[in-house]
Amino acid sequence: MDIGIIDYLANSGRSFFHRASPACKMVFVLLFVLSIMITGDLVVLISIYITLLTLSLLTDLPFLRVVSIASYPAIFAVLFAIASWNGDPIRSAVIVFKALGAALTMVILILTTPYHRIFSCIRPFLPQVIVDGLFLTYRALFILLELMDNFIRALKIRGGLSPRSYRKNLRNFAQGIGLLLVRGFDLAERFYCVMRVRGYSGRLGNELIERKFIWSDIFIFIITLCVCSLSFVVRFRDDFNRFSLYFLYFSLFVFVVSGFYHIGKVLGVRGVLWKS
Amino acid sequence: MSHIHIPDGVLPFWLVLLGWIATMGFLLFCIKRVKSYGLEHKLPLIGVISALMIVGMTLEIVPIAYHVNLSVVAGILLGPILGFISVFIVNLIIAMFGHGGITVVGLNTLVIGVEAVFGFYLFRFLCYLFKTNKALSISFTAAISTVFSLIISTSFMIGIVYVSKKDPFEILSVYSHKEIHDGESDQKESKTKSEVLSDGKRMEKMSILNFAKTVLVIGFPGWVLESTISGLVIGYIFRVRPDLVFTRAT
Repeated sequence: MDIGIIDYLANSGRSFFHRASPACKMVFVLLFVLSIMITGDLVVLISIYITLLTLSLLTDLPFLRVVSIASYPAIFAVLFAIASWNGDPIRSAVIVFKALGAALTMVILILTTPYHRIFSCIRPFLPQVIVDGLFLTYRALFILLELMDNFIRALKIRGGLSPRSYRKNLRNFAQGIGLLLVRGFDLAERFYCVMRVRGYSGRLGNELIERKFIWSDIFIFIITLCVCSLSFVVRFRDDFNRFSLYFLYFSLFVFVVSGFYHIGKVLGVRGVLWKS
Repeated sequence: MSHIHIPDGVLPFWLVLLGWIATMGFLLFCIKRVKSYGLEHKLPLIGVISALMIVGMTLEIVPIAYHVNLSVVAGILLGPILGFISVFIVNLIIAMFGHGGITVVGLNTLVIGVEAVFGFYLFRFLCYLFKTNKALSISFTAAISTVFSLIISTSFMIGIVYVSKKDPFEILSVYSHKEIHDGESDQKESKTKSEVLSDGKRMEKMSILNFAKTVLVIGFPGWVLESTISGLVIGYIFRVRPDLVFTRAT
């Protein structure tokens, strides 16, 4: 999980998804996750996943990187499926696709929205302290990641991390974390002093959220509503089951068309397999 | 390895909701308690420790997604109340990165929060019991506390999965037994139903046993790794800044 890349992609993108309002994207996440939660139909889950893949293609993000970041929970989903195996392979596949779908939804949000906008958006639903904590954590995260990178590089150069010396590696790694903690405490003290100087009295300032709807919002909203209503209908009305197959064919068709469009549009610049 | 890395939609809605309500209740209690200690002064510290937990989670030690949580370290250094707040912030941020389900953040916070709170109290109790004041013994005490906290939190996690297979009404014993007093004509049908139910229960029992076995087998190397690293980290901090380890608990 490369948090630096995630932050860079969220801030540098210019696609319709990047331009959409954070509130609209939060509704997108909420309804997509709800659709994934309520359905137990494998075909619907695969269709939702393909729809999300299509959306990630249209966001002009490095496709393979997006898929690889969002595939991380699949490891645990497979473990969970094996652990709770009851002889039904469809059930296991449902668990894996639920994990993949929900993770891809979250990854699309985080790769297309700067973190401060997401935190501002969830501010009304969480205590003030937690939201301030989220901001401060995110700020400290990048400083600590850089310190950790430097520390690991220094360890490697000085032979502190060498293959097969597990005991030594473990001790050095733990001391690195200890060092980061000690530095972190100093950092926290400095943070507090700087914040006090700037007038902090237990509450960070709010960011103004734009309340203007643009066409990207409407487009995202329509897709979200379609997917959610289909998922609900297939879940609660048995006679609508055949629609799940139509949904699968349609999402596959759109994915293929978007794939060709994407390759045609950006292949000359960086290619669909662009990784860094 | 004590995270509930259960995907969204696998646990029943009532359990997910209960997890969120319980977490929010604990959070509000923690915030109310900690306000008297000067929360605004502690907030940057919570941020830094939470960030460090995320850094620990991003570093895969063995390439099958073993990573350190550092929740017991956070509990020991921050205290149980601030530790719980920190655990919630970490869970929310890593869920946004696609690392675990967003709907299970509430339950996840309870499981890892238990780790941080028990870790703190066990560490303080063992230190008091053995009157430890050397870096090596402090390391050992922290490692032992971590192992026990992980055992407790993993058992809690298995318990959650077990409860998730149950019907909430069954747990609360509010089912009436009117099926038993149905007419004779329904006897054959009800027998078939009860056979199916007992088969289902057997499968459910086997499934939860398999789950518990797998989690314990996979979790054990993770416990060893986490407790070793936590012990070494606390030992190092005790050598460099002993005041941080035995700071006033919040």
